[in-house]
Amino acid sequence: MRLKYGIQIALKSLKINRSRSLLTVLGILIGITAIIMMMAIGRGAEKLILGEIGGLGAETVVVRPGREPSGPTDIADTLFNDSIGEREADLLGQKTNVPDVIEVAPVVIVPGSVSYEGETYKPTILGSSAEFIGKNFKVFPETGELFGEAEIREKASVAVIGQKVKEELFGESDALGKSIKIKDRKFRIVGIFESKGQVAFFNIDELVVVPYSTAQLYILGINYFHEIILKASGPEYVDRVVHDAEVTLRDAHNIDDPDKDDFFVVTQQGLAEQIQTIIGALTAFLSSVVAIALVVGGVGVMNIMLVSITERTREIGLRKAVGATSKDIMQQFLLESVLLTLIGGVLGIILGGILAYLVSIVLSHLVISTWTFTFPISAVFLGLGVTGAVGLIFGIYPARNAARKHPTEALRYE
Amino acid sequence: MKLIEAKDLKKIYGNDGVDTVALDGISLEIDRGEFVAIMGPSGSGKSTLLHILGMLDKHTSGTYQFNGKSMDQYSEEEIAKVRNKEIGFVFQAFNLLPRTTVLENVELPLIYSDVPEEEWQDKANAAVEAVGLSSRIHHESAQLSGGEKQRVAIARALVNDPEIIFADEPTGNLDSKSGRALMEIISKLNQMGKTIVLITHEEDIAAYAKRVIHMRDGKIEKDLIRK
Repeated sequence: MRLKYGIQIALKSLKINRSRSLLTVLGILIGITAIIMMMAIGRGAEKLILGEIGGLGAETVVVRPGREPSGPTDIADTLFNDSIGEREADLLGQKTNVPDVIEVAPVVIVPGSVSYEGETYKPTILGSSAEFIGKNFKVFPETGELFGEAEIREKASVAVIGQKVKEELFGESDALGKSIKIKDRKFRIVGIFESKGQVAFFNIDELVVVPYSTAQLYILGINYFHEIILKASGPEYVDRVVHDAEVTLRDAHNIDDPDKDDFFVVTQQGLAEQIQTIIGALTAFLSSVVAIALVVGGVGVMNIMLVSITERTREIGLRKAVGATSKDIMQQFLLESVLLTLIGGVLGIILGGILAYLVSIVLSHLVISTWTFTFPISAVFLGLGVTGAVGLIFGIYPARNAARKHPTEALRYE
Repeated sequence: MKLIEAKDLKKIYGNDGVDTVALDGISLEIDRGEFVAIMGPSGSGKSTLLHILGMLDKHTSGTYQFNGKSMDQYSEEEIAKVRNKEIGFVFQAFNLLPRTTVLENVELPLIYSDVPEEEWQDKANAAVEAVGLSSRIHHESAQLSGGEKQRVAIARALVNDPEIIFADEPTGNLDSKSGRALMEIISKLNQMGKTIVLITHEEDIAAYAKRVIHMRDGKIEKDLIRK
């Protein structure tokens, strides 16, 4: 029998039992919907996070105090750890220690809010060099200028603010030259960043940058840094910078065992790899849950195929009487179960795509504006492949039962 | 020339250690173009014999030659092919496919044949015309009367132009008027050269045949040829 007739017969029989067929493939449909959503959202998250990490720049190396965080408490440890300070920044800046580094930028994070004449706003406040941030994240001042080395050395009370901060505190009026308050200390606004939105891990528009030395002395009362950003002379030197920085700091802190490091080094590539590992592990876990759903769905398909074959025993007998071979019968019922699951797969792919799209709309409007809808084509092939395989695997047993029926007994079946 | 040659056919069903003898040494020859009726009480083995002759079932011992070739020489695939091309079956319960038109039912054997699809329509039309149902060719089987359903079954048996038609109580589910009409069609097919073997337990149906075989307890009791 030619495949074409097999497909016609299978489709016809599925159509005759339309509601039963649809209910049967519901399990498969849900499983595939879950796979598609998982892949689409996972890919979206990966793209988003990798995009943010990408904003760091390929030649950026970040040195942080404490241990590499593996949980929420470790992050607190990083904030209050004093192992990275002015001395470390100096050592890392010396050509003899780290030859491939071209820039060293200490950063402190200032919690709290800023105010201007009764208006208060809670931005992200960084103690750093505005010049460095401008250069590193490719943001330019819209008005005024970005402070640098000199202001940091003088511990000047100056600030550069983002567009959102300006809008919240000053509205339409001019902000340049005015003084904002951070923890009772006044900072004169010397520059305003152009609007740039999300770059790397923070939103430039919601940023206030003050000299780190000023923040350390007058606001935080600390003498250490929350991180030191190193700029390698090129992406290809990042590994060497990481190695040299580690050696320098271990030497300075008398550490022999790398497991006892009181600092850690982060690179764009390292972060990306970590994120990919996490998303990969998550996907693998969810996939195994979905696999169970598909097995349950497959058993449902097998069950309904067995029912259908019993119902159609006389039809099988008749087909054999008019010349169908056992192979023809086997092929017919295998096609039927494969088409059944494939229909579930196609519906699942469509439904999963729609749901993932809706989720991405919700996410991009309510949570993360940079979230984009991603629909991996590989998910379509995976979905179709998996459903076809489920139909084949769970269809073999019923189809073999059908093919083995003895024609005279099948014809007599009541 | 002999179409069917059976010698000492035996069929024993083994069920839970109890053997039932359905055929107990049947020897039989049927020529091309014959019209044979097999009669006998239920349990006499007439259906079993028909199934074995029609290659739907296998005998336990003895020899059976169809078209000069012994049954043992046929592979499973070849048997399916013979059933498809050389044999037509008509059953008491019609056995039409549900929710399927007359045309599709009649075309069913062609699906399993190597007849090219372009010829299907002509063959099916000719078979439907031979049973006088051309006007209902696109009706679904559920819309037909019992007599019409059985005529569709005959058209289906006929579509591949077989050597022989086996009919297992074809009028059993019909009223006597439709039964007679059906027998007229079968007689006409025989006159056109088809070999017919049919089972019945009604004398007036058997009267259409030229040869009547009576069976009892798996054996041939009488084998009469009418003048």
